[in-house]
Amino acid sequence: MNEELVSIRNILKDTRFKLHEQANVIATGVGYKVTEGKKTSILSIVCSVIKKLTPPQLSGKDTVPPIIDGISTDVVETGPIRALSYTGRYRPAPGGVSIGHMDITAGTLGCLVKKDGKAHILSNNHVLADSNNGLPGDYILQPGPYDDGEFPGDRIAQLEDFVPISFQEPEPPGGCGTARALASLLNFGAKVIRSKTRLQAITIRQAENLVDAAIALPIDEKDVSDEILDIGKIKGINEGAMGMSVKKTGRTTEFTTGEILQVDVTVDVQYELGKIARFADQLMAGAMSEGGDSGSAVLDTDNNLVGLLFAGSDTTTIFNRIQNVFSALGVGL
Amino acid sequence: MSPSIEDVKKKYTQRLLAMPGVISVGIGKDPEGLPVIIVGLERPQPETQKKLPKTLEGYPLHIEIIGKIRAQ
Repeated sequence: MNEELVSIRNILKDTRFKLHEQANVIATGVGYKVTEGKKTSILSIVCSVIKKLTPPQLSGKDTVPPIIDGISTDVVETGPIRALSYTGRYRPAPGGVSIGHMDITAGTLGCLVKKDGKAHILSNNHVLADSNNGLPGDYILQPGPYDDGEFPGDRIAQLEDFVPISFQEPEPPGGCGTARALASLLNFGAKVIRSKTRLQAITIRQAENLVDAAIALPIDEKDVSDEILDIGKIKGINEGAMGMSVKKTGRTTEFTTGEILQVDVTVDVQYELGKIARFADQLMAGAMSEGGDSGSAVLDTDNNLVGLLFAGSDTTTIFNRIQNVFSALGVGL
Repeated sequence: MSPSIEDVKKKYTQRLLAMPGVISVGIGKDPEGLPVIIVGLERPQPETQKKLPKTLEGYPLHIEIIGKIRAQ
């Protein structure tokens, strides 16, 4: 290794700790100094900062000295470095990161929506409202409890409103589920042969849900960002349609893309404790999510919002139509 | 006039979902791009698969094994 480089590395080793104590410095290394956008041949100690500041915004003790032990320094603005991935603590918190009601594990902060002119966090009922168990005013943590989000330090918002999920009534042991299914099967046949005498099962028609959605009001509006990680700002909304290419950023699988393969989907979704809820008018894409991605905003290729992700299997991802979400919660962009 | 695929899907959804193993009913496309009704099964279910009709009022019915759908 070149002698100059070795000596700079040693100097950095001695001063690194002190540099990292300065506000803003998030990384240090050795590199060629860049002056007026051009790489020079001068080896320097490079300090990466979230945002470049100059006095008086920056106090003297937090200013990186221009020269350390005869070696030039270079300050580079990199923005936050996502070494912690999407499960870390973010302020301001953008869409795509871990979030959750105090009593759950963790889900995803979808995006910001407006209600009565105020910005709210949009995610699922089962993320922000603990599947109907939450009460307005409950604290929401970023990151979520599973990602070491703690009360009170990581509070970011308070539950404002949610659309209750209607769960299927558990069948009593030896219940009539089988009989009902059988009657249905027979009715299929009856339909085909146009029989007038059709078997009537005791039909307990469970309510169909359209959305798994909730909103939370940030404690401080400055703690949230209207951008979504890896995606950017939302342009508008669009109607999800068959064959549409979509994308999302979520806590677990981060940035992924997919295609809408089915529309007008009616689907039975398993929740915790074996509870099942039936949803209608859903959109189905191929596999593009896993546990923890719930609440992700789903967008088309032009950054229009089309859905709110909430469920999936090994081969599918299910999301609510954003139009249904907005009208159920009375929110907009 | 023949009913739309949306109407046909709607008409049979509850009955399809009452069959053992059926967890979803939606509208998709076959490889040729023609609209089909797609029934999702959690896992292979020979009994149900045997009983499902090939078409519903003229619209093809496809079966897909999609695994358990969980809230994520």
